[in-house]
Amino acid sequence: MSSTGVAALFQTGPVDAIKTIIMLAVACVLLYLAIVKKFEPLLLLPIAFGMLLTNLPMIKDSSAIMMHTEFFTDAEYMIDGKYIDVGLVCRKGGLLDLLYLGVKLGIYPPLIFVGIGCMTDFGPLIANPKSILLGAAAQFGVFFTFVGALVLSALVPSITFGVKEAASIGIIGGADGPTAIYVTKSLAPALLPAIAVAAYSYMALIPIIQPPFMKLMTTKKMRGVVMDQLRPVSKTEKIIFPIVVTIVVALIIPDAVSLVGCLMLGNLLKESGVCDRLAKTAQNELMNIVTIFLGVTVGATATASSFLSAQTLGIVLLGLVAFCFSTIGGLFLGDIMYWVTKGKVNPLIGSAGVSAVPMAARVSQVVGQKENPSNFLLMHAMGPNVAGVIGSAVAAGVFLSMFNGL
Amino acid sequence: MEYSQALITGKGLTMGEALSTGGMTTFIGLAIVFGVLVILMLVLMLFKVIFYKAPAKQNAAQPAAPAPAPKAAPIPEPAVEEDEEELIAVLTAAVAASLNTSTYNLKIKSYRRVPNTRPAWNRAGLNETIANRF
Repeated sequence: MSSTGVAALFQTGPVDAIKTIIMLAVACVLLYLAIVKKFEPLLLLPIAFGMLLTNLPMIKDSSAIMMHTEFFTDAEYMIDGKYIDVGLVCRKGGLLDLLYLGVKLGIYPPLIFVGIGCMTDFGPLIANPKSILLGAAAQFGVFFTFVGALVLSALVPSITFGVKEAASIGIIGGADGPTAIYVTKSLAPALLPAIAVAAYSYMALIPIIQPPFMKLMTTKKMRGVVMDQLRPVSKTEKIIFPIVVTIVVALIIPDAVSLVGCLMLGNLLKESGVCDRLAKTAQNELMNIVTIFLGVTVGATATASSFLSAQTLGIVLLGLVAFCFSTIGGLFLGDIMYWVTKGKVNPLIGSAGVSAVPMAARVSQVVGQKENPSNFLLMHAMGPNVAGVIGSAVAAGVFLSMFNGL
Repeated sequence: MEYSQALITGKGLTMGEALSTGGMTTFIGLAIVFGVLVILMLVLMLFKVIFYKAPAKQNAAQPAAPAPAPKAAPIPEPAVEEDEEELIAVLTAAVAASLNTSTYNLKIKSYRRVPNTRPAWNRAGLNETIANRF
């Protein structure tokens, strides 16, 4: 009897039992959002199920425990109180502990970026280089939220966000799941589940979050602008682009290379045309496998003690702020470009600088077409959209170089 | 840059500290992000200068491109009602692709079906090749 889950549920008293039940309920709500509401189901479903697995009631020190978050966050279990004891994880760890090493060691997010690179066409960006600036402007939300997190920390005594936590929360505004996870696992591992859930949920909500700002910040005339046809881009350009970007980024901000470099590796696999088999594997099998590992293990870090706190509420709130201000940043520069080019740029493509590919670009297309049914903004919006991926990876590199090692 | 203990742990953070550090980081961070992407933009503009010459010539020849269309115009064509729009869209795209120009520069005024004079065996061979490619 004493080895059943029911006994385990009550072993440490009713308060913990209630917390466990709340966590299971949260996991079920997320599963509902993923399955019924189709919120980024490919990631939210594994995350939610990982959350379910890790919160199942277990007897203390049972060998059935799949995830020991204390191995990765509690100084008692770490070598010199700082470094993960990989030996301990291998001897005592469950399945999810072993898989979580891939997150902790920073393996999964770059591998996902290889797959994303394979699926990305930088053609629209090469054809219209100015649109890359919109991808930079849309990182405004990242930094704005960084300030917001610090201010919230100063205002609310129960919330303690230092610069590292603030950076991890800010990067939600990059609207790029792997980037957010990559930054958070280095700077604020305790916040990983809350940030991952917030990032992916808001990404799914982009079609609801963005349009009000898009209407607010543009006039009817601006939204109706039909942009010039993009010039054709040659294969040579598409092949040279990933190589040049990798070198340029490495020269300026080396901390961004593991993300940008992998993104460009994937892109080169595709564009070179000589690695078809590798490109197919990277964007299908490899990416799917890594997505499962990443989702389940990130979800599994969401234990009651780390997730049920005022901080999680703060993160959910700040994540929304981050998305809104990234959208505003992109639209603002879009408006400026509209004025500078005397009406040749449709400012709606600015909001696509938020890097959720291709969702943000599709939102620009839909909002633009409402104003002018014969207008096709999708390809024009893809430029800022893929620039946003590079932009948020660079922003991540900035944070890592500033705060990693503090 | 040096960070105080309050900034690192978030405990006992004052508003002034939060705003000054936040503002500074925002300034440096956005400057770097814009810096990197502006450099990439310049590189891409260079791309256009280096690689875009050949198609640019065809752009210069663009005024000539619409010429074939009017030439085809006089051919009288009894209207075929079914799905004209789609057919014309396909024709425009095909002509644009073969002339290596944009569909914006073309206007299909009329079209005519040319009777298929290919011998039956050739036709069968062609059909088989196309089917195999799918």
